[in-house]
Amino acid sequence: MNRTLNVVRMQLVNRATYIWVPLIILGGTLVISLAIFGLIASSGADAEMFGGGAQAPLWYFGVVGVQALTLTFPFSQAMSVTRREFYLGTLLTAALTSFVLAVLFIVGGLIERATSGWGLGGYMFYLPWVWSQGPVVAGLFFFGLAMLFFVVGFCAATVYKRWGNLVLTIVLVSLGFVMIGAMWLVGQLRAWDDLFAFFGSLTPIALTGVMVLVGAMLAALSYRMLRRAIA
Amino acid sequence: MTAVIEVKNLTKRYRDTIAVDDVSFAIERDAIYGLLGRNGAGKTTVMSILTAQNFPTSGEVRVFGEAPYENATVLSRMCFVRESQKYPDDATPTHAFHIARLFYPNWNQAVADQLIREFRLPVKTRIKKLSRGQLSAVGVIIGIAARAEVTFFDEPYLGLDAVARQIFYDRLLEDYAEHPRTIILSSHLIDEVANLLEKVIVIDGGRIIMDEDTESIRGRASTIVGDTAVVEEFVAGREVIHRESLGRITSATVIGALSAEDRSELALAGLDVLPVSLQQLIVRQTQNAAHTDEGALR
Amino acid sequence: MVDEGRPLFLQIAESVEDSIIDGSLSEQEQAPSTNELAAFHRINPATAAKGIAMLTDKGVLVKRRGIGMFVADGARELLLTERRSAFADRYLDPLLDEARKLGLGPDDLARLLAERARTATTKGTSR
Repeated sequence: MNRTLNVVRMQLVNRATYIWVPLIILGGTLVISLAIFGLIASSGADAEMFGGGAQAPLWYFGVVGVQALTLTFPFSQAMSVTRREFYLGTLLTAALTSFVLAVLFIVGGLIERATSGWGLGGYMFYLPWVWSQGPVVAGLFFFGLAMLFFVVGFCAATVYKRWGNLVLTIVLVSLGFVMIGAMWLVGQLRAWDDLFAFFGSLTPIALTGVMVLVGAMLAALSYRMLRRAIA
Repeated sequence: MTAVIEVKNLTKRYRDTIAVDDVSFAIERDAIYGLLGRNGAGKTTVMSILTAQNFPTSGEVRVFGEAPYENATVLSRMCFVRESQKYPDDATPTHAFHIARLFYPNWNQAVADQLIREFRLPVKTRIKKLSRGQLSAVGVIIGIAARAEVTFFDEPYLGLDAVARQIFYDRLLEDYAEHPRTIILSSHLIDEVANLLEKVIVIDGGRIIMDEDTESIRGRASTIVGDTAVVEEFVAGREVIHRESLGRITSATVIGALSAEDRSELALAGLDVLPVSLQQLIVRQTQNAAHTDEGALR
Repeated sequence: MVDEGRPLFLQIAESVEDSIIDGSLSEQEQAPSTNELAAFHRINPATAAKGIAMLTDKGVLVKRRGIGMFVADGARELLLTERRSAFADRYLDPLLDEARKLGLGPDDLARLLAERARTATTKGTSR
């Protein structure tokens, strides 16, 4: 257990990756969103505005997932760390940082709720659907989302380490085809309305559950591949 | 003598090459081994497999009596210093040493600090900004200060200049004398490291062609130089592993100790006798093994 | 100092023997330790140990438990005897071979030897 915790410290050496860049992205999108809200509000519009800025740090977590493997795995091998210790320690690091991010999102949302959208009616964190079951569920939702993005990045990087560039590209392209195929199928079955209705009926906690499930599957897959990966 | 590493019939095959070909050997505790051979002979592959960073295609590896794969108790007692090690992006040498201290139970900071001074390593500069030599120094410092029971050095001193290399050899010997452990050094600069090695394993083309005590190998061969006809007469019936001729002069390297009578005979015949260094012997043996297939040891 | 063609441990042993013979290491004095020899000559301690072991077997050094290796009583005499009998092999045979090559007979050699010995004495280099 001790060695696994030491892996967390090893990962956190990359302070820029885990702390600075996410904060800068978050801060940056916040500032930009506020600026846009301000512009729109000052032009006389009165409706509530919802910005998608909260996405940005989440997408970045995908990058963090990639870097958690590529930047630190070779060094962990040099430190005689087993792949299992590395894997668990890295997931733990991801959970820690996702937790911090989720907390920041909750705080941001509470501020927005209290100030009625930064006094401008503009919301980046307090998205109604996400908060429909309260702040705790909203936090879990953001946590699940961040972890999912992380695991996707980590899994992709593991495919790369295990099988190389070619296989990774093939996998991504195939996924693309699968998506397009699925969309075509939905169109054929004239099922778009039903699909959207279904998604609309999902509660945040349910979607969080789905994300955790998918994340867990990808995480398990990553571990299997990591066991045979060469730094 | 206890064997701390045992390798039996180890083979590593890639799609169309055999990197390690049915190799077997044992490494005894607390000795300094040289794992010698040309570039691409299989030295790095063998060391990677022993430290579970790479996997065998077939064969068995035992370290401290157990398989090293995913075995934290075994792995934490080993250290593998590679030639070009990747470090976390933002890491400085100080970070790297802090982390090494966390993972290596025998880590000695005083030794690390002394080496940092001697190598003049800028510890606050990010590793990715260091020169080749400074990067090698980081690896070497980790290898020595970790005091792991089994330490591998895979030509990590390639980036170091001659002065730095001498510092490495001297400090390694010094620390080894005070805290004996098993050290395996791979190098193609054989003569430089020859005096440090107690035992020598030579790999060529994925096979072991020599596995002996250094002292047994020293003096094993001599080079006879002189008039071609006279040289040939002397070396007839002896094992010649290398021959070179220029005009009427031939230089032949023969295996086998020369007795006092031999030396008189040579002096009388007007032939010169030159000693053969460890490096020359191994180079000649390797070239020899490439020409004849009997060079492989099983 | 290192001769490529001969085992190192022999050379180490010889260097210790040399210092006993020339008096810089006296009988009953403590011999350099394995680690000291290894560090000084920059060689593997196991090799140095082998050289020391050989000297111990020969009776040149004795081990005093808990303290270390010491030069044995009578070691110098022992070594001188050994060296003198090896002297002829090591120095005289090559000398004779070379002399023969140069066309010097035993009488010429004797004359040269006497001449050179006289010069050496006047220079004060003899013991």
